[in-house]
Amino acid sequence: MALERSKLLVVDDEPALRRALRTSLAASGFSVSEARSGEEALAALDRAPVDIVLLDINMPGMSGVEACRRIRELSAQIGIIMVTVRDSEDDKVHALEAGADDFIAKPYHLRELVARLRAMLRRMTAKQCKPQSVLQAGALEIDIQRRLVTKGGEEIHLSPKEFDLLAYLVEHQGSPVMHTRLLQAVWGPEFGGEVEYLRSYIKTLRKKLETDPAHPEYLLTEPWVGYRFRNPDE
Amino acid sequence: MGLVDRLRKRALVRSLLRVARGVALVAIITAVCYSIHLNAVATSWVFLITIVLQSLDSGFWESAAVSVFATASLDYFFTEPLLSLNVENPLDAVNLSTLLVVSLVITRIQSRSRAEALKARLQRDTMEALYKVGQDLLAVPPEGIAGRTILEPFLSEFHLSAVCLFHSASLECHTAGKSNGDLEAKTRAAYIAGEDAAYPDLRILVRCLRAGGPVKGAIGFEGLANPELAAPPLAAFASAAIERAEAFQSATTAAAHAQTETLRSAILDGLAHEFKTPLATILTAAGGLRATGSMQPEQIELAEMIEEEAARLGDLTSRLMRLARLDREELKPRIEPVDAAELIEMSMRRYSKIWPDRRIRFRKLGDTSEVRVDPELIGLAVSQLLENACLYSRPESAVILQLTPEGESVAITVWSDAPPIPKGEREHIFQRFYRGAAASRVAGGSGLGLYIARKIALAHGGDLALLDATPGMAAGVSFRLTIPAASREAALGA
Repeated sequence: MALERSKLLVVDDEPALRRALRTSLAASGFSVSEARSGEEALAALDRAPVDIVLLDINMPGMSGVEACRRIRELSAQIGIIMVTVRDSEDDKVHALEAGADDFIAKPYHLRELVARLRAMLRRMTAKQCKPQSVLQAGALEIDIQRRLVTKGGEEIHLSPKEFDLLAYLVEHQGSPVMHTRLLQAVWGPEFGGEVEYLRSYIKTLRKKLETDPAHPEYLLTEPWVGYRFRNPDE
Repeated sequence: MGLVDRLRKRALVRSLLRVARGVALVAIITAVCYSIHLNAVATSWVFLITIVLQSLDSGFWESAAVSVFATASLDYFFTEPLLSLNVENPLDAVNLSTLLVVSLVITRIQSRSRAEALKARLQRDTMEALYKVGQDLLAVPPEGIAGRTILEPFLSEFHLSAVCLFHSASLECHTAGKSNGDLEAKTRAAYIAGEDAAYPDLRILVRCLRAGGPVKGAIGFEGLANPELAAPPLAAFASAAIERAEAFQSATTAAAHAQTETLRSAILDGLAHEFKTPLATILTAAGGLRATGSMQPEQIELAEMIEEEAARLGDLTSRLMRLARLDREELKPRIEPVDAAELIEMSMRRYSKIWPDRRIRFRKLGDTSEVRVDPELIGLAVSQLLENACLYSRPESAVILQLTPEGESVAITVWSDAPPIPKGEREHIFQRFYRGAAASRVAGGSGLGLYIARKIALAHGGDLALLDATPGMAAGVSFRLTIPAASREAALGA
């Protein structure tokens, strides 16, 4: 799937913003279609599937979150980036719960949006190919199969829980992962509220992996939402 | 002639009539007993019965007059020598004195018990009327209290000719009923003099209203039947009503004030929200311009400027929205163990980028900096203090952050060489939407920053204060944020 042909659906009720996005994203190499509402977006997707939907959370009629849920029901492969307006963590959590892969807060830089879109496309392509067992991220090399982590060629010793946590984040690299999801995936389904566990494990992981733990480049905090593994090579 | 004189004269005439009736009865009995030659002892018994009957509806002096007349009649017509007031036989003297003494004693007892009964009835009536007034006053809605409405129960239950209430806070004077003695002027006069006043001739009584403090007004009664009994509780009712009206007034004002503030913050949020979509459009369009890739270097530079400034506006609106939201909502810190030094360093790094011409320094005293706080909220509070420090200090000046463990809490001090905050403003700077003189000369700022920062500190059981002078630091402005240390929580848990 070449980037130039990547199809994008922009869903926003604001005509000026849709126009600016269409022109700018087309200039950045995407093929862009538009929808004015959640209902229109569902109809458009029914006619012609796309790779990624850029979905505004605040729209008249069907809400962005509801539209996201319906789109996700329609297809598990489609990438969904939710555009949040309010500086509200609840919006982000709702978006992720409804099946969004990522969120971006309005107003955003075009280059940031383009970077997110490209990273998402790369992840989607990678998923469609063979599952990667060894991941290269900056100075880190993470071998999922052999449960081995090296930094600049030197092996880093991780406890089993630490490795599981890192592996889950790496598996969803680039996407924000909610606290509850992390806890349930790594600790078990009966967990969910023990954010303090995560804090202390992430702290240890940062001490072991990051060059400057106070200023992490791999393990990023999504305030009040969760964590995100960032691959500096992307 | 005044009403009182007329009433007095009428009472006197009634009294005289009752005496005349008694005297006439005694005269008839005398005539009958004399004609049938009844002896003195028997006649004295008949007189005694007459006097007892007389005392049933007469006062002491009326009955006493009849008693004296009856004794005299007995002496004159039935005691030897007859038809003379002289007494020869000492036994007759005893008989006469016995009649007089017994009749006087009976009269006395009777009139006293009648007075007691009258008083008791009056008290009962007054109590009933007071109870009704109290009930009626409670039924008056709080907004109607200040007006004439509350005077109606006074008027109807106590059959007053007029009642007047003067309220000092509103300077209003309300009168119900019709006064014959210029009640309003007398009520005002008593308030001005600060003393109760009585005009018995006009049946007017004015009482000043005090509710455990200064005089809040005065109430004047005209035609109050039993002033000693009824005036004090009625005045207390009026005081309570005024208190209630004032409490309602201040509660309404406070509620309106709070509502206005909330509305202001909601408008801020709404405005910021409205700005976000146009800003996103500008940013996208400016980014798109560069993405087309067919521009001259100067054009690219201009497009970048548009992008940067739109992004700056976007950050400002985001911050405003965040503050407005924190203002409206109850803060629920999500407490976790955090290294305060890390929090400070993160804010510091951000502001060093935004303000490259301020020398931001961090001093950590002591070796523990573990705290139990909501990192997002405390980070926001520290950023707010740092932002203010940069905003109000001179270019190339130092901004110093200091972290000091203080037993069960940790203090974060932010110092800058900003001009000192004037004395009159110091107590106001933490108020919502307050902007000092210096703040209004500097662009930006919502008047919410310090208010929210303090709200955050208080929600953590800490505090945010403006320091007078920091030992070891030059003149300038220092704020001190205190938050609970991790050890305190551990100590509490142990």
